[in-house]
Amino acid sequence: MRKLLPLGALLVACVPPFFVDSYYQNMLIMVFLLAIMAGGWNVMGGYTGYISLGHSAFLGVGAYTTGILANAWGVSPFLTAPLGGVAAGVLAALLGLVTARARGTVFIIVTFALLALLGIVAVNWSSLTNGSHGLVLAIPTWDAAYANWPFYYALLGLLALTVLMSWAIRRSRFGIGLLAIRDDEEKAAGLGINTPRHKLLAFVVSSVPIGVAGGIYGYYLSFLDPRAMFTIVASITLVLAALLGGAGTLWGPVIGALLVEPFSQWTNQQFTGPDAGAWRLVLFGGVLLLVVLFLPHGILPEIQKRLKRTPATAPVGKRLDHLPVARPSGPRTFGPALLEVTGLHKGFGGLRVLDGCSFDVKRGSITGLIGPNGSGKTTVFNLVHGLLRADSGTISRPPRLARTYQLTRLFPRLTVRENLLAGARRPEKAMELLEFIGLADYADKLADSLSYGQQKLVELAQVLMLDPDLVLLDEPAGGINPTQIEQMAGLIRQLNSSGTTFLIVEHNMPLVLSLCDEVHVLANGHRIASGTPQEIQRDPLVLDAYLGADFRELHGTNS
Amino acid sequence: MVTFLQSLVFGVLVGGVYALASSGLSLIFGVMRIVNLAHGGLMVAAAFLTYTIWNSTGLDPFLAIPLVCAALFALGCLLYQGVIRFAWRGGEASIILATLALAMIIEGVLALVWGAEPHNVTPSYVNSSFRLGPIVFPAVQAIGFVIACVLLGALYLLLNGTWLGRGVRAAAANPTGATLTGVRVERVNVVTYAIGVALTGAAGAIVSVLAPFMPDSGDRWIGIGLAIVVLGGMGSLAGGLAGALLFGIAETMTTTYVSTAWATAVPFVVIIAVLLVRPQGIFGRTTRRDVMAG
Repeated sequence: MRKLLPLGALLVACVPPFFVDSYYQNMLIMVFLLAIMAGGWNVMGGYTGYISLGHSAFLGVGAYTTGILANAWGVSPFLTAPLGGVAAGVLAALLGLVTARARGTVFIIVTFALLALLGIVAVNWSSLTNGSHGLVLAIPTWDAAYANWPFYYALLGLLALTVLMSWAIRRSRFGIGLLAIRDDEEKAAGLGINTPRHKLLAFVVSSVPIGVAGGIYGYYLSFLDPRAMFTIVASITLVLAALLGGAGTLWGPVIGALLVEPFSQWTNQQFTGPDAGAWRLVLFGGVLLLVVLFLPHGILPEIQKRLKRTPATAPVGKRLDHLPVARPSGPRTFGPALLEVTGLHKGFGGLRVLDGCSFDVKRGSITGLIGPNGSGKTTVFNLVHGLLRADSGTISRPPRLARTYQLTRLFPRLTVRENLLAGARRPEKAMELLEFIGLADYADKLADSLSYGQQKLVELAQVLMLDPDLVLLDEPAGGINPTQIEQMAGLIRQLNSSGTTFLIVEHNMPLVLSLCDEVHVLANGHRIASGTPQEIQRDPLVLDAYLGADFRELHGTNS
Repeated sequence: MVTFLQSLVFGVLVGGVYALASSGLSLIFGVMRIVNLAHGGLMVAAAFLTYTIWNSTGLDPFLAIPLVCAALFALGCLLYQGVIRFAWRGGEASIILATLALAMIIEGVLALVWGAEPHNVTPSYVNSSFRLGPIVFPAVQAIGFVIACVLLGALYLLLNGTWLGRGVRAAAANPTGATLTGVRVERVNVVTYAIGVALTGAAGAIVSVLAPFMPDSGDRWIGIGLAIVVLGGMGSLAGGLAGALLFGIAETMTTTYVSTAWATAVPFVVIIAVLLVRPQGIFGRTTRRDVMAG
């Protein structure tokens, strides 16, 4: 049924030219155009979270490329319109190099500037574009009774393709990667998603339909005015359509276009004379402001939220009876060092955080890294994971290494399953791992609807999807209840017994002592002690670092 | 050589005014991390206000600056309390779209009130100038430059010599830390936004004399403002000053040696080039980011 609905909508949309006059044909053509633009934008602005204010530039570039080539070769602009899409894609790829570095506000400004610059180029480069006189295209030669029909069906078909493309992206691993970038780009990169390539591709994909549409639209107008083709108003209108319908949803941009374009035509009729442009600015600005302030997620998500009722039976986590409760007894032997850190130095401005820190983690072990607050544990993690660069020192790390964060960083707007798939090497493992952590019933819940403890478990499963040789856990027991701590400990033991090596930063001493084979103690940026939990417990230096010499004297533990 | 020196002088004079014109944008971004796209529109609004004051009372446009600043300060408070405060909740994209919406509304309102034709404030001395050797100094540009320098100096003293300034700088460096030490960040934000808009107003009053303006001149001014802020390293006032002078010179040189038509492209080329090559700006420093993570 759900699959038939879009097909039905497409069939219905094919009917109007037979019955309505050219006024409504024109309105629908403009709706399709706006929907294509908003839908293209949505891949970048909605899925990936990079707001572009320059997307109407792709319309202009597509239209000019199509028009100039059609005039030069003496062919129908319909034939050159795909090349308009190619030109838009090339431009997006060039501009996409910016996205490798620019995020958030900077990206918005760059796209804003690009649109303005292209507008100026279109006016000034008159040998190519005929400048401010505008570019005249061939007049359609077919029967005037059907004047609008080819444009109508061409744009409708392009819109269908755009929606189909958007749908395919949203369902693909690529799309999950884009959404992951939107929610937490740094974490996405940490999971092994090639974020620059994802963003570049998203930008290109979002521009091509707009470029093709520009070619068709230019032919429809038969005349290209550089000021109209590169106006910021077109960009704002398409962003408004996408936001109003619901950015990041499949149908939001189409719904938005269906509302915004008729509104635009209505204002065209309401306001005539010299003040018409001014009134339209005030109205469109006002509507945009209202949408941003009061409907930031758009109509579609708002409706979905209203319709969603709490199900009668909520899923519950499984009891995890299969987990080992105690450490395997008897002496354990480990392989050679899997991670070797030598002489790390790292400072932030005047603050020396690491000062010659060295330690190793042996293959097959659960190694603990403890130390008082500010001793440099998290910095070690960031260096080992590659998030920061050391001032000096060497790190020899295994090829596959994954980490969790002190404060859990799941992608909040992805489902639990999608969170696991985001960086996966073997997607088919996802359900198996969710079974393993007892949360299979939550697979299709949004990550931020889970409790904090559950999120910690999901994050563990998420990094296990990377098939890591070494897992870095930053406070796995922080902020979760004792039962969940037991579960977490059991999971770690189970995974360790099947070959995964762990390095754990943790403040919960009973957990560290019961879980770890070897413990390194950091203080003031370097290692002050190493040994089995029993040895560490008795080490005077460690007691000093944690509790101060006074405590030791007072309690006579100085033996 | 004279042509070059003359262009350089024009560039520096206009650069000083650009520095003032971008200081409000820079201040607001530095403290609140808001790119105020309404900036250009507000500047043109101030120019129209100056025009009306001058046209109806005959008051000299430069003497009208305190009045214009006061009016724009009030408008800034109003916009912050009515819009910015709420848009902030939606994150940086929603705030930038909100200020863009404001820019549209302002442009529309200006066109409705004053019409779409070009306006210009022309006091009696508008075309007079003085000479130092072969170099010409147009009077209004020189006055505008001096006033801009005075106001920027006053801003510097305000930020570095007063409790309010300390609060502003504290809120800019670390809003949470500032709150914990008793700075009322919300109030600092209102005042900062209003001061930023008031400075923009002063710049608007000055440029109303320098060149004709229309309701859509805001597009040009937001481009120039962004280019300078980006050049100077976003949010750095000293960097902004250097960026403005550099930009003023670059623009004048383009006009002299290339063409007036391409001079309009300079701001946007600068923005894209700088953000591509050195996102922290020419004069900006890289800052520590790791504290934000984890």
